[in-house]
Amino acid sequence: MALTDADLVARVLLDDDHHAFAELVRNHQSSVRGLLRQLVRADVSLADDLAQETFLRAYKNLRSFRGEARFSTWLYRIAYNCFREEARKRKELVGIHEAQLEAQHDPQTTDPALRHDLVRALQLLPLHERTAVLLCCQNGLSHDEAARVLEIPLGTVKTNVLRGREKLKRSLAAWGPN
Amino acid sequence: MDENLQEDWLDARLRDEAAYIDDGGFTAHVVQKLPAHRVRHSLRAVILLGVTVVASVVAYLLSGGGWFIAEGVTRFALLPLPVIWLCAAGATVVVMVGGLAAAMSKTGGRLR
Repeated sequence: MALTDADLVARVLLDDDHHAFAELVRNHQSSVRGLLRQLVRADVSLADDLAQETFLRAYKNLRSFRGEARFSTWLYRIAYNCFREEARKRKELVGIHEAQLEAQHDPQTTDPALRHDLVRALQLLPLHERTAVLLCCQNGLSHDEAARVLEIPLGTVKTNVLRGREKLKRSLAAWGPN
Repeated sequence: MDENLQEDWLDARLRDEAAYIDDGGFTAHVVQKLPAHRVRHSLRAVILLGVTVVASVVAYLLSGGGWFIAEGVTRFALLPLPVIWLCAAGATVVVMVGGLAAAMSKTGGRLR
């Protein structure tokens, strides 16, 4: 039977078990790297550097994880803080590298032209709306969890998600269901 | 109805966009950068206790079998009674203040 995040965290805390921490990284690397790639506008190497920093900070501060929120929510919060620090350092984040993002993407059922438009529409959203939409609509966090990750009031998260979705819907109106 | 349909469609597209990213050595790279294994708490306690015992034994041997303790007790017993009472009261106050400070630091300054 697969161990839960709580079991793995306990093993790391009790025995400093690097294998258990590796399992945690394996379980969450995709979602954390995906979120960061969207936040840094698809600069894959920068996103992966930030993801690595996220997991290293998580390891160092694992004792502060009390299990009140999901482990993934706690990780998103660290990832978002890493991103904010990097953004402050760079003042403005790197530009849109759509070709790089699309080259990395697993070709799925989605029409490539639709993907292109969706990526572009997401990139055009203001950062606070993009982050709220990504956390809630793409990564499945509740509004309350997103508020904790972003350290902003619940009402602000709801407003940002609503506005972001409205803009996305308008941008993708031609693709929507009839 | 159309509005709900549009919302579901948008959510589905956003979830599609979050395709699984292959590990590609990422985990191994992170684990490689983890700090070296920490000394376990239980091991730390054993080390501290061991060092204390060794230091005590060395101090005992170097002081000629601890004769100074017996001498100190004898000298203290020969002091006038009011001085002994004063020393006892002082020690009580010191212990009480120490206990109070420890309790306050544990409760974040609130005593209830």
